[in-house]
Amino acid sequence: MGDDYPTLFRSEQMSLMQFLIPTEVAHDTVAELGELGNVQFKDLNPAVNPFQRSFVGEIRRTEEMARRVRFFESQIQKEKDVVPIRPLYDSASLVTVGPSAAHNIDELDVTLAAHETRLVQMNDSYKTLSERTRELVEARHVLRETAVFFEKAETQQTDIRTSFDDSSAPLLQHDDREQQYLSTVQFDLEFVAGTIDRTRISTFERVLWRVLRGNLYMNHTDITEPFIDPATGAETRKNVFIIFAHGDALLAKIRKVAESMGATLYPIDANADKRSDSLREVTARLEDLETVLYNTGVNRRSELVRIGEHLARWQDVVRKEKAIYETMNLFNYDVRRKTLVAEGWVPTRDLTMIHMALRHATEESGTSVVPILQELRTSKTPPTFTRTNKFTEGFQTIMDAYGIATYQEVNPGLFAIVTFPFLFAVMFGDIGHGLIILFAALYMIFQEKKWARQELDEIVGQFFYGRYIILLMGMFSVYTGLMYNDIFSKSLHIWHSGWDFLEAGSNGVSYALSNGHIYPFGVDPAWHGADNGLVFTNSYKMKMSVVLGVIHMTFALCLQLPNHIKFKRPLDIYANFIPQMIFLQSIFGYLVVCILYKWSIDWSTRDTEPPSLLNMLIAMILSPGKVDATAQLYRGQGFIQVVLLLLAVVCVPWMLCMKPYFQWKEMQKIQGQGYVGLGHRNGGPRESTDEVLEIEEEGNGRVIVEEMEEEHEQHDFSEVVIHQIIHTIEFCLGCISHTASYLRLWALSLAHAQLSEVLWSMTIEKFLGLSGIFGTIALVMVVVFWFSATVFILCIMEGLSAFLHALRLHWVEANSKHYQGEGYSFAPLSFAKLDEKE
Amino acid sequence: MASVIPVIFILAIVLGLMACGYLFVPKGPQQTTIRTAIMLTLASCYLMWMVTYMAQLHPLITPYRSTKGGESL
Repeated sequence: MGDDYPTLFRSEQMSLMQFLIPTEVAHDTVAELGELGNVQFKDLNPAVNPFQRSFVGEIRRTEEMARRVRFFESQIQKEKDVVPIRPLYDSASLVTVGPSAAHNIDELDVTLAAHETRLVQMNDSYKTLSERTRELVEARHVLRETAVFFEKAETQQTDIRTSFDDSSAPLLQHDDREQQYLSTVQFDLEFVAGTIDRTRISTFERVLWRVLRGNLYMNHTDITEPFIDPATGAETRKNVFIIFAHGDALLAKIRKVAESMGATLYPIDANADKRSDSLREVTARLEDLETVLYNTGVNRRSELVRIGEHLARWQDVVRKEKAIYETMNLFNYDVRRKTLVAEGWVPTRDLTMIHMALRHATEESGTSVVPILQELRTSKTPPTFTRTNKFTEGFQTIMDAYGIATYQEVNPGLFAIVTFPFLFAVMFGDIGHGLIILFAALYMIFQEKKWARQELDEIVGQFFYGRYIILLMGMFSVYTGLMYNDIFSKSLHIWHSGWDFLEAGSNGVSYALSNGHIYPFGVDPAWHGADNGLVFTNSYKMKMSVVLGVIHMTFALCLQLPNHIKFKRPLDIYANFIPQMIFLQSIFGYLVVCILYKWSIDWSTRDTEPPSLLNMLIAMILSPGKVDATAQLYRGQGFIQVVLLLLAVVCVPWMLCMKPYFQWKEMQKIQGQGYVGLGHRNGGPRESTDEVLEIEEEGNGRVIVEEMEEEHEQHDFSEVVIHQIIHTIEFCLGCISHTASYLRLWALSLAHAQLSEVLWSMTIEKFLGLSGIFGTIALVMVVVFWFSATVFILCIMEGLSAFLHALRLHWVEANSKHYQGEGYSFAPLSFAKLDEKE
Repeated sequence: MASVIPVIFILAIVLGLMACGYLFVPKGPQQTTIRTAIMLTLASCYLMWMVTYMAQLHPLITPYRSTKGGESL
C-alpha cells in the first residue's frame, strides 16, 4: 500500500496467510500470536467432530483445571468475610511458554487437584461437625426441659401419693420406706422424649391422641433459639416434647409415629443423677466440637487466602491454555511435511510484526525451527478490520451496531466523530446542560485508568465506554447553546441587541424597533420572552433542520464515489450516483437555495410579498410553470422550476433502466463469445478436483480448503431489474421522507427548550420573590430540586432521547445513501479480548 | 446595515482554516482522523452560524411583549 499509516477512512487491507508450524513450536507460536492479537484463524477441519480433533485430550485437562478454578472462585465468593484476591497485574507470573512450560502446567494441575481435595475435605468435615453440634445442642435442650417436667411430675406425684396412702395404709408396715420405694417405682413411668419441628407439633399431638386413644400424657416447650442448617442457612424452630405412656406396645407406636413425623428421639434416663451426668457429658462434648469446628474454619480460611493469592493468575493461565488448544484444533496436520498447517487473516500492515512474533516464539521455545509464512491468493472476502484507539472506539462501535462495513468500503464511523455529536447538539442546545454533560465526561476521562481496571456496573459501564462521545456531545452542545442563546432557559446578552423595545402602548404591549444591528453570534436575546418568540424560533429552526439535513444527505451521497472508484464500478457512477445527485439537488437542493435566498433579501425594498416556501415547493410539483407574479421569489422562477422538475423526472427512468441495460449487454457479450462454463447449467462454478496434486507441489501457495464461492451471484436478469426497481423507489421516496425526517432536529430542540423553561418558571421563579429566613430556606430547597430535575430529566432523559434520534439520522438517513454494510468483523485470537468476553 | 457580506467574509476565513487544517496536521497514524474532525467541525459550526445569522438579517416579524414580563437576564 502506498500510504504509510492506517486510516479510519477504510478498513484495513487483509491478507490470507498460510503458516507452516513445526509441531514442537506450535504451542508457543500460538501463545505468542494470541498475545499479539492480530490473526484470525480459519477452521481447516470443518468436517471433523469436535470430539475427534487432535487436541481434545489437552482441552479436557484444561477444562478440568478451569472447573477447579471456578470452584475455588465460588468458595471464595461465599465467604462472609471477604477473602482478598490478588489482582492479575500484581500476581506472580507463571511461565507457560518455552521448555519449562509443560512441566509448569503439570505442576499447576497437581497443585489445583491438591487444593481441591483439601478444600472438599474441609468442607465435608465442617458439615459433619456442624451436624453433630446440632444434635448435641438438641440433646442438651431435651435434657434441660425434661428435667423441668420430671420435677413438676415429682411434686404432683407426692400429692397423689398422699391420697393413695389413705386407702391402703393398714396393709403396709414400713410406711416411709414403702413410700419412697413406691414413689420411685410409681415414678418410673415409661416415656419417650425428643425434639420436633414447631410446625408439626400440633399435628403430632393430634395423631398420637387418635392412635393411642388418649392414653398418653404429653408435654412440650419451645426451644427459644432457632437452629441454622449449615448447608442452606435456613432457620428451623424446634420444640422439646416428652410423652408419658405405659406399655411396650404403646411406646412402640409412639416411637413409630414420632419417626414418621420427622422427630428426633433422645434416650433420657429417669434418674435425676444420671440425667445430670448426661448433661455434663453433652456439654463437654459440645465444647470439644466447638473447638474443632473453630479450628477447621480457621484452616479453611487460611487455605482460601492462600488460593486467593494465585487465583487470578491461575484463571488467566487456564483461559489462555484452553484458547491455545482450541485454536490448535483448527489446524491441519500435514503428514508429508510433518508440520501443522494453519491459515489465518492478518492485516497486511502487521505482517512484519507477525514475522517477529514467530521468531520470538522460536527463541522462547529453544528450538531452531522457525515457522514459515506464506501468502495465499483467494477470492473470499476478508474480514473488516478498523484500527481504533480509545477515542475513536466509541464512535466506531455505534456505527458498527447498524452493520459491519463491507471489506474496504468507506467507513461512516470516521465522519460520525463530528457529525454525530453535532446533530445531537442541534437537538440539545443549551449552554448549561452542555456544561453539565461536559463535566461528567471530563470526570470519567480523568478517572479512566482507575475505572478501566474495575468491574463496572452495566449501566455505568455503558456511559464509561462512551465517555469521549459524551465529551464531544458536551462541547458541541455548548456551541449550539450559544447559537440558540439558551442557558438554563435564560438568554445571554453579550452583544448589542438588534431590537429596541418601545414604551408599552395602551393595550400593555410593547413593540420593538429594529436598530440596524444584527446580533453577531446567535439568536438575538430580544426574542427571548417575546410573545411571538416561538414564531420566529420555529421558522428559524425548521429551515435550519432542512438545510442541515439536505447538506448531510448530499455529503453521505458523495461518499458513494470513493467506493465506486475503488471497486472499479464506473457503471455505478453514471447509473446510480449521478442521477441520484441530480434528483436530490433539483428538488431539495433547490429548496435550500431558496431558503437562503429568501433570507438574504430585504423584503421591505421589494414590492412583492415574501412567498411561503412550502407552498412554493408544492406548487412547483403540482402546477409546474405557473408562478403568481405577486408571490414570486425571483424573476424567471416559473421557467427554472419547470427545468428542475423535468431534470428530476428524467432521473427516474435513468436510474431504473441504465444499469440493467448495461448489465444485460455485458451478459450478452459473455454468452456471445461462447464461454459456457462446464457447470453452467447448474449455475455454479466447478469444484476443484486437483487438491491432491496441489499439496504435492512444494510451496505453491494454494489454499488447502477450497470452498464453494458464495459471492458468485446469479446473473439472472429479472433479479437485476427487480433489484434496481427497489433501489430507485427506495431512493426517490426516501429523499422526501428523509428530508422531512430531519425536522426532528427542530422538534427535539423545541421540546428541550420548552421543558427547560417550564422547569424554571414552575420552580425557582415562583420562589425568587420570597423574603425572610423562611423564603431563603424554601429557595434553597427549590434550587436543589431544580438542579436534580435538570440533571435527571433534562440532561439524562433528554440526552438519551437526542442520542437516539441523532443515531437514527445517521443509520437511516445518511447510511442509506452509501452504506452496504455486508461485512463480517475481524475476530482475532486475542488473549486481551478473552477476559472481555467473559 | 444588514448585509450578506459578513457571511461571505466568514466563509472565506473558514475555508482558509480548513485548508490550514488539511495541510498542517502532522503525518502519523491519526492524521486522517484529526484532519476530518477539524474540517467537519469548522464546516458544521460555520453552517449553523451562517443559518442563524441569515435568519436574522431581514426578519419578517418584529418581537413584541406584553409588559407583564420584565427584561430577561
